Amino acid sequence: MTGYWRLALLAPALIVLAIAAAQVILAMPAFGHPLSQYGTTVNALAPMIRNVSNMVAAVNFDVRAIDTLGEESMLICAVTATVVLLRGHRGEDMTECAGRLAGREWLGRSAATVLMCRLMATVVFLYGVFVVLHGTVTPGGGFQGGAIAASSFILIYLGEGYSVWRDVLHSEIFAAVEGFGGLAFALAAMVPLAFGYAADQNVLPLGSWKDLYSGGLMVIVNAAVGVAVIGSFGVLLLEFMEETRAPKPGDEDDEDQEEGA
Amino acid sequence: MNWLVGIVLLTSAVSGLLVVASRVPRRQVYAMAANGVVLALLFFVLQAPDVAYSEIAVESVIVPLLFLITLAAVAVNKVRR
Repeated sequence: MTGYWRLALLAPALIVLAIAAAQVILAMPAFGHPLSQYGTTVNALAPMIRNVSNMVAAVNFDVRAIDTLGEESMLICAVTATVVLLRGHRGEDMTECAGRLAGREWLGRSAATVLMCRLMATVVFLYGVFVVLHGTVTPGGGFQGGAIAASSFILIYLGEGYSVWRDVLHSEIFAAVEGFGGLAFALAAMVPLAFGYAADQNVLPLGSWKDLYSGGLMVIVNAAVGVAVIGSFGVLLLEFMEETRAPKPGDEDDEDQEEGA
Repeated sequence: MNWLVGIVLLTSAVSGLLVVASRVPRRQVYAMAANGVVLALLFFVLQAPDVAYSEIAVESVIVPLLFLITLAAVAVNKVRR
């Protein structure tokens, strides 16, 4: 097909598309127009029946907690698959130093960088924990706070370098933290079942509105998600960072044997 | 309020275009991180601060880092072979 025929075909297609798009755009509600009845209903009801002031948390951790349990399992499965893929190819042994391109100058890091990274890593981690804890009261919640807290680990690498990063952060601990979070969420869904309620039914005392521990079971589910996300992201960062470590002599042979076995 | 939304929407379009336009993978990663910050600003202006949190933590910090690590690993392994 020549370029001429392609253009000839493109022209009518574009005309049809333009007409259809114009019709859809003109029929759209105004920008920022509240559309969802579900949203307005939750906004009206959740403060009364669940005593929380963050409606997103009310939807994620109470009204649709089973959906969130599914998402949580997906996150854990995805991280596990990444670990299996990367570690399966690389092996489990550790080295002391990071890999470096030959002939590339090592500039070192200034004292200011080290200091700022130490300070900011602490602050960012604490802020992440803060966002997790206030999940039912202010915007944020388990996932957001967990991701913020996990991004503080990067600052440890930036400020301290590979060997300290390896000494401080351990894959086993992160894996245990991740598993604990997932288990806590699953238990929060299952334990009400054992007592004859629906799965994830909010059976705990709800606390008072705008209070840090308002929302009953939501507090536990929110914290579980936060813990699981910190663990997942920690494992993910560690596994990826290991890909850049210095290769040891005979590394490739070992991997081949492991793959053969 | 509307002009603020307009400005941030325009900025997000421009920064998104920069991600596509940069041809060096490393620059593309930095452009993507910047785009994440702009998108977080957009979510914030549209009154979704919790989404802005995840946007900054995931698209501006963690995903760019994973990309940078991947680029570094590719470079290191190329030397090894």
